Amino acid sequence: MNWKKVRTFILTVLVLCLIPATRYYQIDVPIVRFFAGSRRVDPLALHLSGEFVEDNLGTEQDPDGSVTVRMIAQQYLFIPHCILVPAGVPIHLRITSADAVHSLVLASPDYNVKVLPGTITLAQLQFSTPGEYKTKCGEFCGAGHYAMRSQLKVVPRIQFPALPNGGRATCAAE
Amino acid sequence: MRLSNATIPPASNRARLLATLLAATSLLLMASDQPQDHIPSYVEWTQQTIALASAGSAFRGLLLARRCEHCHGLEGFSTMAYTPNLAGLGRLALWKQLQDFHAHKRSSPVMVPIADSLAGRDIADLVAYYSSLPLFSDPQDNRSFPQLQPDFAHASLASHLISFGDGERGIPPCQACHGPVAYRPGAPALMYQNSDYVLNELEAFASGNRANDINMPMRTISALLTDDERHALAQYYGAGLGLQSESAK
Repeated sequence: MNWKKVRTFILTVLVLCLIPATRYYQIDVPIVRFFAGSRRVDPLALHLSGEFVEDNLGTEQDPDGSVTVRMIAQQYLFIPHCILVPAGVPIHLRITSADAVHSLVLASPDYNVKVLPGTITLAQLQFSTPGEYKTKCGEFCGAGHYAMRSQLKVVPRIQFPALPNGGRATCAAE
Repeated sequence: MRLSNATIPPASNRARLLATLLAATSLLLMASDQPQDHIPSYVEWTQQTIALASAGSAFRGLLLARRCEHCHGLEGFSTMAYTPNLAGLGRLALWKQLQDFHAHKRSSPVMVPIADSLAGRDIADLVAYYSSLPLFSDPQDNRSFPQLQPDFAHASLASHLISFGDGERGIPPCQACHGPVAYRPGAPALMYQNSDYVLNELEAFASGNRANDINMPMRTISALLTDDERHALAQYYGAGLGLQSESAK
């Protein structure tokens, strides 16, 4: 048997398999790492106290130049519904669920952040270019799951609004 | 004299007590001056809350409900389009709204004073009564919806939103929380609701005048809906189209 031919054939097949995959991964989300934090939150009392009260949701400017985004995933919405972040800046995403297990899918199923009730999921991401991303829930969460979609808007750093101390930015009002 | 000295603290002590009280009140006032987070509602759907909301006595509620009849109708079906029908609404939905009126988290010039006058037990009793009222009693039932018939263009727009929502804009289907497919704790069934009431509430949610939805789902969705869609939904729910399958029997 011509092992050289077999080897070439296998290699060719492998390379051919990789081509669509590489295209699939060519999305402008360089870093997505997440882990479910050890801090417990009460999913039924998010609105009463703690960091996920209404006025604290959205994008917050950190002193070191990065931004922190706080979100709630619930049946069948992400709150805030439209996230506004600057490009080229590290983004710390803090997200928790108010009811079921959800996952925030950014652009492709490979970039998803699991959201569990009772824990805060921390994720780090960074967008190098401005653009609009359609985000959606990637974990079946109930009757309205397929309509659980939201937006993530990446704007140039200059266009990102200067937030006063304690201010939170979203684009949901537009 | 000695006895009175023992019971009433001496003047210096009293002055100190007063000063402490004053300091405490001023501290409290200072604390309330700082901007506080908006809390939509004090209701929290724990097992205890659900047990509390379900523990009322319907008979006592029936007696209390004499005060509600004038606006909400004899058997929980109001003849006025801007007043909600209460018959057969979920216990949790009714309980949450009364609690929110009571805590001044939802504003209404009529309902806030009424809810203020209710004692702790009354709310659960009223809830038990209204949630036990039948939606259909007999063929001669003369309950009517005070609205006009909707035109069919609007009905199809509304029924599509209710059954499927709008995935492109991220609007979930209404029926996933407001029934009949599923009910979220505290979400009222809308199929038997009055149109002007539904429209008023949708517009209040969209403008932020009503802000007692926990984690703001309704404020978000109402703001995403267009004016036409809000009207269509209100008309659809108010016309009792959801009743057709039942009354056709």
